[in-house]
Amino acid sequence: MKPVDLAKKLRREAAFEPAVLDRGKAALMATIRQEVQPMRRPTIIPRLPYENVGAALSFLERAFGFREVAAARGVRADGAIDYTMVEFGDGMIGLGAQGAHGAFSPMRAGTASQYITVHVDDIDAHHQRALASGAEIVSRLHDHLRDYRVYEALDLEGHRWRFLQWLRETPQSERR
Amino acid sequence: MDPPSDAAVIGRSLDEPEAFGLVYDRHAATVLRFLGRRVGAEAAEGLLGELFRIAFERRKTFDAARVSALPWLYGIGSNLLLKHRRAEARRLRASARMAAADHAADRRTSAAAIDAHVLFPRVADAIDSLPDSEREALLLFAWEELPYGSVAEALKLPIGTVRSRLSRARAHLRELLEPNGKGRERSR
Repeated sequence: MKPVDLAKKLRREAAFEPAVLDRGKAALMATIRQEVQPMRRPTIIPRLPYENVGAALSFLERAFGFREVAAARGVRADGAIDYTMVEFGDGMIGLGAQGAHGAFSPMRAGTASQYITVHVDDIDAHHQRALASGAEIVSRLHDHLRDYRVYEALDLEGHRWRFLQWLRETPQSERR
Repeated sequence: MDPPSDAAVIGRSLDEPEAFGLVYDRHAATVLRFLGRRVGAEAAEGLLGELFRIAFERRKTFDAARVSALPWLYGIGSNLLLKHRRAEARRLRASARMAAADHAADRRTSAAAIDAHVLFPRVADAIDSLPDSEREALLLFAWEELPYGSVAEALKLPIGTVRSRLSRARAHLRELLEPNGKGRERSR
């Protein structure tokens, strides 16, 4: 047999999952959008450690309406998400695997050492959505001094989120 | 109306980057199979992403005189594969074992089966030990079935250089298969 024909004998197709091409397209379009509209870089970006970043991400999207900044995603060799960013309004927060940078999920640490306030446009709808997605409400939805409506919830791993909507332009407390 | 050529699409993507998605739609499946044949499914998926990101970033440098973007994409892929030589060698050896097993099942004559078990791994080693430039030219030609002109475009070489690389690759393979292989070649 000729050398080229012998080489041809070793040509073998790889078996791909059907979703590979779709994933590739999504990644490319994220790269392209990144060029069209570069990622915002707020001055301060809190980063939250999670034991399972992927599960945390889908919970935060589903329960709180956060959106992933796809271009920010980093993936480990086994396919799990190592870190990524979410945005909501003009805010941005990073999610990352615990242990890196000395930070641990409340699930491991046993306690949260901070909570994060998020301003929303329709607090009742937001609260409904969080409830329906199984967020644990740790401070019920209520009005505070007729200034704002607020509730607090824990995410899957126990990070504490405080959602509020201003009810008036100038807070009552500043008028006194 | 004919669909726009790749060159036209890439030209448009300079002003409208999103248009580059069409280059992916047209060629990603072909490019993915190419990468899969070389390094297997898992590594190929990662490389596919890298390849199209690089292509997008370098789209300004695409030669508008080329009608199809495919050879250009192959070329970017060939370069990326150089960093995955070990995965490639592993896959070649596995392919050799499978080709030998197929061959044995086909023939059912024990002599031919034994030959195949010796011959195909040796072909794998021979391909693996070719100089990079010859191996790329050979595999684009033999596995991807690209014509000389497209191999030349992919590797950014004059067509004459491709011809000489391929004939050097053939000679090298023959040489590498030679030492104890003469008898086996004759028995066929």
